[in-house]
Amino acid sequence: MTPMLSFENVNVAIADAPVLRNVTFALRPGASAALIGRNGAGKTTTVRTIMGFTKAIGAIRLGGEDLGSIPPHRRPSLGVGYAPEDRRLFSAFTVEENILLPGRVAKLSLQETRRRLERAYSVLPELQELARRPAGSVSGGQGKMVALGRALMLGTRLLILDEPFQGLAPVLAQRYAEALRRLRSQDKDITMLITESNPKLLETFADVTLTIERGEIEGDSSQSIG
Amino acid sequence: MNSTLAILAVLDGISYAALVFLVSVGLSLIFGVLRVVNVAHGSLYAFGAYLAATFSIKVAPLSPWLTYPALLAASVVIGVVCGGFIERFLLRPLYGRDDVLQLLITFAAFMIMDNLQRLIWGVQPIFAAEPLKLLPNVTVFGVNYTSYQVILLPGVALMTLFGLRYFLRHTLAGAVIMAVTEDREASTSIGIDARRVYFVTFIIGASLAALGGALASPTTSLVPGMGADMIVLSFAVAATAGLGQIEGTALTALMIGLTRAFVIYLQPEFEVLVPYLLMVLVLLVRPYGLFGATQVRKI
Repeated sequence: MTPMLSFENVNVAIADAPVLRNVTFALRPGASAALIGRNGAGKTTTVRTIMGFTKAIGAIRLGGEDLGSIPPHRRPSLGVGYAPEDRRLFSAFTVEENILLPGRVAKLSLQETRRRLERAYSVLPELQELARRPAGSVSGGQGKMVALGRALMLGTRLLILDEPFQGLAPVLAQRYAEALRRLRSQDKDITMLITESNPKLLETFADVTLTIERGEIEGDSSQSIG
Repeated sequence: MNSTLAILAVLDGISYAALVFLVSVGLSLIFGVLRVVNVAHGSLYAFGAYLAATFSIKVAPLSPWLTYPALLAASVVIGVVCGGFIERFLLRPLYGRDDVLQLLITFAAFMIMDNLQRLIWGVQPIFAAEPLKLLPNVTVFGVNYTSYQVILLPGVALMTLFGLRYFLRHTLAGAVIMAVTEDREASTSIGIDARRVYFVTFIIGASLAALGGALASPTTSLVPGMGADMIVLSFAVAATAGLGQIEGTALTALMIGLTRAFVIYLQPEFEVLVPYLLMVLVLLVRPYGLFGATQVRKI
């Protein structure tokens, strides 16, 4: 089976300092993968590399397609949704406008945009109440939900969530985890890659766990197909 | 100061503010999106003025009314050709590097364009007042004034202000520009081509500078150095308003335009001083400008 996402000997250096070293792993379609590591281990660099925000050496493939030749702004249209660690919502827009913008940019049909918005609302029902609120006015935890909703607009094949639980109050973390379980039950095919520093938060959700330490995946990651 | 002089000062101020707004809002837009202080903006203003005068002189014998589309055409040509060239070949290689490099490269572009301007159009003053003469004078509270300056220029400035507002807030292209302005990486992660947005925004900003020059060309004699005067003044307006603030730029241009006009009538020796004095006073009290806001990082 062709993996949905694969890294083969990926190396990334930032300001000449190696941050990822020979990272190799593969995720099957429909996997729920946790990328676990301490702060500074290379989790965020790994997901930013998938999005094309770093200069990487090595092969990164999405469904067998080499991402190296695809510019960063074209990667979301391949079905990749990304919710960054610090939310990064567009404060000039409402919550719903934030969720819709990727669909508008990708020039999805009105019907398809509406369908994907409904999908985001079915996974995150609380977003409907926030829909008209300016994105700049929502709390940090709500912002994480909005970022997930926005990632779902284009993330039909691969969903990348960077430290989604960081800074969330326990009750919000619970709701976020429920949303992920709802998404998984609704969509068996979507591949999820979630970074986290606390392995316990994802142990009941993830079916494959990758541990990164000082830029290296620990253990035999070539078998980490999920 | 008698009432006639006061009305004249108001009309001068409004007319001048309209031109300054067009140039300043282009500068502000470019800074807001690209985070580049474009020193070459003054040259784009001057090139817009000279090319508009050249076009006007060429088309006026065919029909004087063709001088109006000539002004617009000159703005678009300068915006697309010069603006596109500066962004694509001078600024794009420098994105992500030290901001000082961008400042230096646009300063170099300004100096090169200033020399090119002298090579192409010479150093003798050029007059092309046909568009100004075509429109009748109007009487405002007993004061006779050209409708080109008191109606057309403010009208174009207002159309630009409301057009930009509508474009940025109610169109997809505007939403994309707003998104890139706020966060380039987050924009890219939802599929926006930030490089293209930078290119288009720079062309819009450059076209606005050139439009300011083109519209100014019938009202003044074109001389070397006009670009330098305008870049310094428009920077003062944009900085006083708060860089990236469109509505604020309009109000500040009006405030500085009116103040400058009154100073010319009351104490002409302070004409050059006043806009910068206002800028310094405002920036000392509000470092982000009258309408700018500090960037709050939500945690």
